Amino acid sequence: MTAIELATSNGTRMDDLGADAALAIRAMTVSYGQKPAVFSVDMTVPIGSMTAIIGPNGAGKSTLLKAALGVIKPLAGSATVLGQPVENARARIAYVPQRASVDWDFPTRVLDVVLMGLYRELGLLGRLRGTHKARAMGCLERVGMQDFAKRQIGQLSGGQQQRVFLARALAQNADLYLLDEPFAGVDAATEKAIIDVLQGLRADGKTVVAVHHDLSTVPDYFDRVFLINTTRVAEGTVEEAFTPQTLQEAYGGRLAMGQLGQTALGA
Amino acid sequence: MLWQALTLQLGYNATLVTLGATLLGVAAGVTGTFLFLRKRALVSDAISHATLPGVGLAFILMVAMGGDGRSLLGLMLGSAASAWIGLLCISALTRRTRLAEDAAIGAVLSVFFGIGIVFLTFIQTMSEGRQAGLEGFLLGSTAGMLYSDAVIIAVGGAAVLLAVIAFRRPLSAVAFDPEFAASSGLNVPRLDLIMMGLVMAITVVGLKIVGLILIVALLIIPPVTARFWSERVTGVLWVAGIVGGVSGYVGAALSAIAPALPTGPVIVLVSFSMFALSLLFAPARGVLAAVLKHLSFQRRVHVRQGLLALAQGQPIYEKLTLRLLRRAGLARADGVATSDGKARAAKALRDETRWQMARSREEFALAATFYDGLTEIETVLTGDQITELDRLIGAPKGVRP
Amino acid sequence: MIYNRRHFLTILASTIVVPQFALAFGALDIVATTGMIADTTRRIGGSHVNVRALMGPGVDPHAYRQTRTDITSMTRADLVLWHGLYLEAQMEDFLEKLARRQPSIPVADAMPRELLISHADYESRFDPHVWMVPKLWSSVAQEIARVLSDARPDAAEDFAANLAEFEGELDTLQTYGETALATVPESARVLLTAHDAFSYFGNAFGYEVIGIQGISTESEAGLNRISTLVDMLVERKIGAAFVESSVSDRNIRALIEGAAAQDHTVAIGGELFSDAMGADGTYEATYIGMIDHNITTIVQALGGTVPERGMNGKLAAGS
Repeated sequence: MTAIELATSNGTRMDDLGADAALAIRAMTVSYGQKPAVFSVDMTVPIGSMTAIIGPNGAGKSTLLKAALGVIKPLAGSATVLGQPVENARARIAYVPQRASVDWDFPTRVLDVVLMGLYRELGLLGRLRGTHKARAMGCLERVGMQDFAKRQIGQLSGGQQQRVFLARALAQNADLYLLDEPFAGVDAATEKAIIDVLQGLRADGKTVVAVHHDLSTVPDYFDRVFLINTTRVAEGTVEEAFTPQTLQEAYGGRLAMGQLGQTALGA
Repeated sequence: MLWQALTLQLGYNATLVTLGATLLGVAAGVTGTFLFLRKRALVSDAISHATLPGVGLAFILMVAMGGDGRSLLGLMLGSAASAWIGLLCISALTRRTRLAEDAAIGAVLSVFFGIGIVFLTFIQTMSEGRQAGLEGFLLGSTAGMLYSDAVIIAVGGAAVLLAVIAFRRPLSAVAFDPEFAASSGLNVPRLDLIMMGLVMAITVVGLKIVGLILIVALLIIPPVTARFWSERVTGVLWVAGIVGGVSGYVGAALSAIAPALPTGPVIVLVSFSMFALSLLFAPARGVLAAVLKHLSFQRRVHVRQGLLALAQGQPIYEKLTLRLLRRAGLARADGVATSDGKARAAKALRDETRWQMARSREEFALAATFYDGLTEIETVLTGDQITELDRLIGAPKGVRP
Repeated sequence: MIYNRRHFLTILASTIVVPQFALAFGALDIVATTGMIADTTRRIGGSHVNVRALMGPGVDPHAYRQTRTDITSMTRADLVLWHGLYLEAQMEDFLEKLARRQPSIPVADAMPRELLISHADYESRFDPHVWMVPKLWSSVAQEIARVLSDARPDAAEDFAANLAEFEGELDTLQTYGETALATVPESARVLLTAHDAFSYFGNAFGYEVIGIQGISTESEAGLNRISTLVDMLVERKIGAAFVESSVSDRNIRALIEGAAAQDHTVAIGGELFSDAMGADGTYEATYIGMIDHNITTIVQALGGTVPERGMNGKLAAGS
């Protein structure tokens, strides 16, 4: 979008491209105080794709996701999910936030956390039946945590906690999965388990968007990338958008040359 | 005498106060739980202090309009109004300025309380109005509870209790993970305001009974105590209600039998003693349990390390290890293994070897996360899997299976 | 106009001297703490004094804390008169410190100790409610007269005359009380009030006195006390309790409810002026009126005979 189009559109009229997308963000601007964290960002995520959001620290990756979801209030911009405003599409979205934002001493067990994914469905006073518990256990099995159902969450390792969060998202039975740094600080076994689940979701026709920090695994795990450094730097398939040039532009001088060369060659 | 008090045989006043205090304790304990889980406990202190200007102003206005300054309804409405304004101030200060929440709470608490004292001081000089007893709002006057007070507590407390139970799921979700809650469509600021509103309702109901300084204790001590006894939100809610109710019941009973004991403070002391006992003796999270668990863990580690040393023919230097092994009949005083000890040592060594093999192989990755130096591998892996491990161990080194 | 140096000096001198004359001959500016002291001081001081009371009707002296306005008027006054005997508990520190700078006299403190009731728990502390009995209050009136005479020796004669007149009224009031209170049947002579303000009254006129709270309203009545009192009310069939204008009536109402639960009716005999006087401008806002009201109300409530409008026929109707 040119600057003039930016200034006149508030994203209220969704273009055709956006109507088909799993997630379409238009002109998203978020600032903390006077400094913009995300400035006029557009993003279009095709249905059934697996997209990595990458960029240097403080680039606004988490902020972008949170603003799209309405978790934080943007200065300007809008987002739609499968053609609908986010507010009307809650049933089709699942979000896995960063692990660090949670108090792990909270009195709740693993199974209870997964059940929280069903709260929206249950409503205020709906009864929690055996079928709900069975569904929750099923989600725990998909992430390999079924033996931990009765454990208090503070007793889990980082990787185990991340898996429980993923199970909670699975319980929401969504079409679009948004994950914030799902592989940060987890062990190799957990990383494998998670990526298996995500690829299973994609095989089912779901869409996955993840904020990702490890450039070396981008080509293996994802088919699309979205590079951001406060503004959008590049967007597209891994072949198109994950190149030394785009990485240079996004990261500035913050990457070692060897890293850039290696990732571009897909080695 | 205590027995009579506890079985409500001490007459009308004692019974009324005991039941009223119990109801208030249950409602306050349950309501305070979400406040505690959401880490907003201090806000209850600000709310209670912010009721004072409302009480004072309501009195002044009612007298100025020729009415009875001490009408309880008017005073309660006044206290609720100023408490609500205080809440909005805290919310505005945190969201629109750079002030951290605890600073905003402290500011509102002290400023509102100060304004309230100014009103009370002015009232003390008013020549019409029958102002005696307004300071009773500060520390309460539980012993002089009237039937009408008990009705207010019963109705108000029950209403708040029902509301908390109705909203328990969204409130739990918001307390645990506000970002996830927001992403799943919950209106987090509105739910926070609802929770605060319920706390405010309890505060207003309990103001005349235990006073604004003590109502905070009834809101906070029960859930903090309950945390020692349960690892689930519903469990904490139940125990907090019970602790609050028991404190009210026992506290009122105690003040009924001993002369010159003010009821409100005694209730708070009872709840505090329940907290202290829980802190020390709760089986899972208490201090004593932690100490015992630590000692037991230490012993097991020493024994295990001792056995491994014995199995590998290494000398044991640590006195504690030797002592523990001797006491278990696994070694002699000079550090030589008994026959029992030799068997156990061999077993420990085999267990350890299997673990090391499991941790080095990718197919056992999940099981490997259970390794803590003490758990035996038979409790984690199946017989078949252990056989596989043994086979891998037995393979000569340098051969890739 | 200045005619010459001598005139100028005269005028200059008089502007300095005249104010001193005014001080010596104008009204004494007095601040009193309680209304009882203020009224008595006005009676004795007459036109020589200008008295302001800090505590108005309905104000509890045990709990009163001075405001900044109070401090200003006290420091500007010629004389501060307070009760003492730890009545103004929250102000005592300040009033004692004030005495170092200007005259600040605790007028009840000068009472002979043998006339006072000492506190049950503290030997050196006394029950301060001495104004309840006119005969005791005359000692305080005498002290006030003495203080005024010290401050204004030239008016000492006037003070003495006023004092004599006031003491005459106190005598009449005392006699009225003794007669009226004696008409109440002996079994009914129980005075149940919100706090223990009537011990001197009880001693002087032969009544048993029960206060729910102790001597000071700062102590909270415990549940045990309320229960014990209810049982006693029922057992002894005491029929009347009295609320006080300066104390919350909550505890009294709790007692009445408790007695009602045991099928015993306790009525509110009326409102007594215990630590403060009546509404400004009324007869009850004078010392005589206050005690007259108390005596008349008590006698009427407990079944004795007494003129409905009190000793002087001046009590408000239906009080």
